[in-house]
Amino acid sequence: MKKLGLLILSGFTLMLSGCSGINVLDPKSSTGKDQAYLIWLSLGIMALVLIVVFILFAYFVYKYRYSEARKDYEPVDVEGNRKLELTYTIIPVILLIILAVPTVRITMEQSPDTSASQKPEDGTTKIEVTGRQFEWEFKHENGASVKDELVLPEDEDIEFNLHSEDLIHSFWIPELAGKVDVFPNKELNYVIRDVERGEYEGKCAEFCGVQHTNMTFSVKVIGKEDYKAYINDLK
Amino acid sequence: MEISIFGFSISAPSDVIAAWISTVIMGGIITFYVVKTNKFPLIWSYLRTTNHRKIGTLYILFGFLFFSRAGLDALLIRLQLAVPNNEFWLFQFEKYDQLFTTHGTMMIFFAAMPMLLGLMNIVVPLQIGARDLAFPFLNAVGFWLFFAGALIFNFSFFLNSAPGIGWTGYAPLSTSIFTPDVNSDYYVFGVQVSGLGTIFTALNLIVTIIRHRAPGMKWFRMPLFTWATFVTAIMILLAFTVLAIALYLLMFDRMFGTKFFSGPDGDPVYWQHLFWIFGHPEVYILALPAFGIFSDIIPTFSGKRIFGYSAMVFSIVLIGFLSFTVWAHHMLTVGLGPLLNTFFAITTMTIAVPTGIKIFNWLFTLQGGLIRFTVPMLFSLGFIPSFVMGGVTGVMLSVSAADFQFHDSQFVVAHFHYVILASTILGIFAGIYYYYPKMMGLRLDETLGKWHFWLFLIGYHLTFFPMHITGLNGMPRRVFTYDPGDGLTVTNFMSTIGAFLMGAGILFFFWNIFKTHRENEPVSDDPWNGRTLEWTVPSPSPEETFDPMPVVEGMDPLWIVKKEGREMRTTTDHRSTPIARDSILPVLMALSLAALTFCMIYQWFIASAIFAVGLFALFIVRSFTDEKKEHYGKGEAS
Repeated sequence: MKKLGLLILSGFTLMLSGCSGINVLDPKSSTGKDQAYLIWLSLGIMALVLIVVFILFAYFVYKYRYSEARKDYEPVDVEGNRKLELTYTIIPVILLIILAVPTVRITMEQSPDTSASQKPEDGTTKIEVTGRQFEWEFKHENGASVKDELVLPEDEDIEFNLHSEDLIHSFWIPELAGKVDVFPNKELNYVIRDVERGEYEGKCAEFCGVQHTNMTFSVKVIGKEDYKAYINDLK
Repeated sequence: MEISIFGFSISAPSDVIAAWISTVIMGGIITFYVVKTNKFPLIWSYLRTTNHRKIGTLYILFGFLFFSRAGLDALLIRLQLAVPNNEFWLFQFEKYDQLFTTHGTMMIFFAAMPMLLGLMNIVVPLQIGARDLAFPFLNAVGFWLFFAGALIFNFSFFLNSAPGIGWTGYAPLSTSIFTPDVNSDYYVFGVQVSGLGTIFTALNLIVTIIRHRAPGMKWFRMPLFTWATFVTAIMILLAFTVLAIALYLLMFDRMFGTKFFSGPDGDPVYWQHLFWIFGHPEVYILALPAFGIFSDIIPTFSGKRIFGYSAMVFSIVLIGFLSFTVWAHHMLTVGLGPLLNTFFAITTMTIAVPTGIKIFNWLFTLQGGLIRFTVPMLFSLGFIPSFVMGGVTGVMLSVSAADFQFHDSQFVVAHFHYVILASTILGIFAGIYYYYPKMMGLRLDETLGKWHFWLFLIGYHLTFFPMHITGLNGMPRRVFTYDPGDGLTVTNFMSTIGAFLMGAGILFFFWNIFKTHRENEPVSDDPWNGRTLEWTVPSPSPEETFDPMPVVEGMDPLWIVKKEGREMRTTTDHRSTPIARDSILPVLMALSLAALTFCMIYQWFIASAIFAVGLFALFIVRSFTDEKKEHYGKGEAS
């Protein structure tokens, strides 16, 4: 049992210490940062629960184990303990409320929706995304379109209008932010805010057939002026 | 690969040929053994049995067979993913898709479900003092329908037509527009037929628990495994009906050109709603019975009653109810809108509360006890920290905006394997070790059992813990490879090693069964110093149990009389009991339905109509047989 606890704990610390290099926990957009904040917050709260359970578990299993010295011990008959049970009902509720508040706030703000913003705000770049077996097509505001290569201007909010030509795909750039599904019968809109300069990889996250694995695209976030030049060159 | 036999040339991939060859060899060995030791009477009796213990044993036997096959698929998946840009055998592209589809579908429907139903079949009547399930004939039909469904599903692989649409069968990929071949039909029909059997068995369990409890076995004296079974059976009744409807609609879309899940009027999201209204309760259908098993094993080996019994019952009921309110947390990225995404986040978080109560009640059952580390207890203890680790990632997943990152990544794969393996699979093994005396009259070897446990548990954590990181590093699920530069190599390789450790654990389990049966040392009625009624009947449990009928005087009735050092009181004044009589009809019914279904898959409608007539004829024969007739007048049947 002790071995098990040790294994789990060491694994846990390994995960905590090694995360600076983990893509999703170190995202390059403010949308992704909000998501990473939620992941850290939930992991932190849940780590509290884990530690309490592990300590109680290890302590009880060790202390009350069968041994030659205790072999004639007769356990006392205990039916339960209302106060104790109420405690571990109420404390989790409080922890969950603490977690629920930022969850609601960020989810309300970030959830993809079917209603597109009519007038692009300042600092927003619109990209029309089309998924099909097994490639991605990105159409920029000036009408130029490119396959499997997505170039974006840095520090802008990017509004993706996504739809599919065949079945369901899912648009995901782990290093930037979370994913959104791409449907044949409706258009979804998803905003990724303040993207940072860099080169990333995008993937299809919804199983869509034999070449699903290879339905990837490259993402480049470049300077605003470079971006303007880039889309004009495409024309 | 192409093979020519007698002028016919058959082309088939090498994995299919390998499967045929190994099946023929295994079949040969088994036939040789059966003929040599003349096991025909035994096989004949099991084909016709309607006894709950024998049917339960069949459920577990075949469930374990399919568990092994699905486990083999898992090892092949892990071999393909062991190193970047791997090309292991031929498991890339559609072969890989078929691999993960088969692994998921078989593990859920043809391994976990039947093994749990098997344990319920064996244990529930013994725990409540019933002589059998309420409808023994229907019980046999239920089992053989599961068997028929599994047979259909397995057969697809041997014809090189295994489905490759994922166990979730998402439309429109699963519709005839994108997968017109018979492969997806095997999924639809295999799951449909076995699901029907599951519904029958659930009905049976509900009626049994309501009608056939021994005198004095009040609701709040029932063992927690029986409680869990009761709630689970109600959930099966609701959830599997929805699955059946979903599969019917998909069948119509595929075969008769309806457009429920595509086109201008249909919507692929409808499938996701229907599937997850089934699929999320299904997760708890798998977990609750395991909770029940642990709740009976932990008190036995702590020498103490369960801590907070009524809270345990209440939380089972609450989890069962809440599980029907959370399905769309599987769909947070489909654009349901901010309001629904928030709503389902909150309902999902709520489930953590009753689950937490259960965890702490198990912990406080240990407190002050005298903990004996037997193999069933080790599996139960291994469950607690492992399941909590899966539970906390469950809460993390409920955070909708964070789920945009987690969804459909390896993080989710890690999460659901953590919870399902910790609860269902460890629970099933705990249950098999614990109840083997009642099933077979033998006790499994403790030393080999400990090897099994430790290898499996360490392998499990080694496989799935790194997978969280693989997911957070951006690896989606259901992809067959990755690049060396993606930073996924180390964690994937660790997972592969872990999977093989689990496989080694299972080998020890095989060895254990072999050794135990070879040594064949009979075991007493009460080998574990148990607390409940099942330990008052002989091992293995005979066909006519509880004669005379015991009177239950409280929770843990056997423990009460042990403490007071007296015999259990009995009575002859009790409700009429179910009567199990052998019948070959259930097998015939299931086989005709399987034949009918097989013809439907290939759209041979005339042939399927003929089998339908045959099936109907069997219904008529059944309507005119009454196995209770010989008991009329003896005052037993009512």
